[in-house]
Amino acid sequence: MTQAFVRQYAFYYDSGVCSGCKACQGACKDKHDLPPDVLWRHVYEVTGGTWKKEGGLWVPGVFAYNLSMACHHCAKPICGEGCPTKAIYKRDDGIVLIDTLACIGCRYCEWACPYGAIQFDLESRIATKCHFCYDEVGAGQPPACVAACPMRALDFGDFEDLKKKYGGTSEVFPLPEASVTEPALLIKPHKDASRANKDTAEVANWEEI
Amino acid sequence: MPGPSEREWSLIGFTLLSQTAVGAFWTVAAAFLMTDRRQGLLENRVFTIPFLAAVLALLGLAATVSLSHLGRPGRAPSALFNLRRSWLSREILFELAFIFLVLSLAVLRYQGRETAPLFRALVLASAAAGLLFLHSMSRLYMLRTVPAWRGLHTPLSFFASALLLGPLGVLAVRGVLFDFPGSLHAFQRTAGLVSLAAVLLILLTVLFFTPRAGVFGAKTETLRDLPEPRIYPLLAFRLLYLGTALLFVFLFQRSQNSGYVLLAFICAAVSEILGRYLFFALYGRIGV
Repeated sequence: MTQAFVRQYAFYYDSGVCSGCKACQGACKDKHDLPPDVLWRHVYEVTGGTWKKEGGLWVPGVFAYNLSMACHHCAKPICGEGCPTKAIYKRDDGIVLIDTLACIGCRYCEWACPYGAIQFDLESRIATKCHFCYDEVGAGQPPACVAACPMRALDFGDFEDLKKKYGGTSEVFPLPEASVTEPALLIKPHKDASRANKDTAEVANWEEI
Repeated sequence: MPGPSEREWSLIGFTLLSQTAVGAFWTVAAAFLMTDRRQGLLENRVFTIPFLAAVLALLGLAATVSLSHLGRPGRAPSALFNLRRSWLSREILFELAFIFLVLSLAVLRYQGRETAPLFRALVLASAAAGLLFLHSMSRLYMLRTVPAWRGLHTPLSFFASALLLGPLGVLAVRGVLFDFPGSLHAFQRTAGLVSLAAVLLILLTVLFFTPRAGVFGAKTETLRDLPEPRIYPLLAFRLLYLGTALLFVFLFQRSQNSGYVLLAFICAAVSEILGRYLFFALYGRIGV
């Protein structure tokens, strides 16, 4: 896939088949040689529900699913709206990038992003994030996370093409409404994801991410 | 989810020092403008060189503290590059404008030109720059992804801090340096009453606006890193009540004891530091 035909690069993620192995997270970290405290792709483990008593028995009503999330290269990138130096910008192919020479490390973008995509690098003292492996996709190769997924839960491509191919949504608990930033993301939700909005659910691995 | 950290402490310092400086300037500017109107002559003594130097020192300290929260402070001048969209850029612009105008006033005062029409115009322009500075400062926190900060309580509490600490600071310093011979000057009494009104504004803001701001509705965990969250608001309120009581005694006793107003200022300042700490601790955005 060449950049000339792409208006908006996007990720597709099938939460139902994801095993939570975090190969995507590791491949990203390895390719970009990220420091210990920085992850450009996170795998959130969402858990919820409870045990219910039915007669004399306790029946499990619990559920869990994974969400592999990176920067979603939003149509309305709120991270860039408030950036005082215009260090965050959007390319013609939709990829949102940070100009590492312009960033002053104020971390305002980190506050704003509802996907936790912005990661402050304590070594370089600037904001960093997923850049969609623009070098790889420019050369016709998939991003590192997509290439590493053993379950083929991740895919990438032009947003409109992915919509036609898979459909999907970007509004899965605990992600915000799509209208907030209009992320270039399509998720095939886990079968239990709809329960997360009704039952008590939470991200269970905050310490890890 | 990050709670208050080293960088937030620098922002606590920056916001409160800046608000105190602007509030103090407004206090003296009001005295200057009111005296002029009522008596038909310029009150030259209110805008003293030491006062203007103190305001500039507060602003300089605030700017220095704020630089410490940047990863790359050497690149700070480029923070002015996004005036069209970024409230952070606008905050820096109006901060610099306020500093420049106060510095200009100090130069005119040093040259003995405080009776010139230009001086009065600069006082008004400086007060307006201070207003825009605080407005930008509050707007930059009102992110649409951070319900805990997106509400009327953010600008109300920021302006209340300026109206509490500024006049009270002017009274406290005035009292320590010169004491208060006889009864209070009209503007000194007004400054004290403005501080009392600011206390009321803070209480109304906390009671009516903060709970509606989604503080308790954010999906992310809040107050996560505070060891004992209840201690901070309770201590902040008790110090505010104590400071208010001391200010009452100071304002309505027969002979003014400057010790009361100094203690009131200390109580208010510590209460505001705790309150601002809680403001940053309550950060909780939508999503993850």
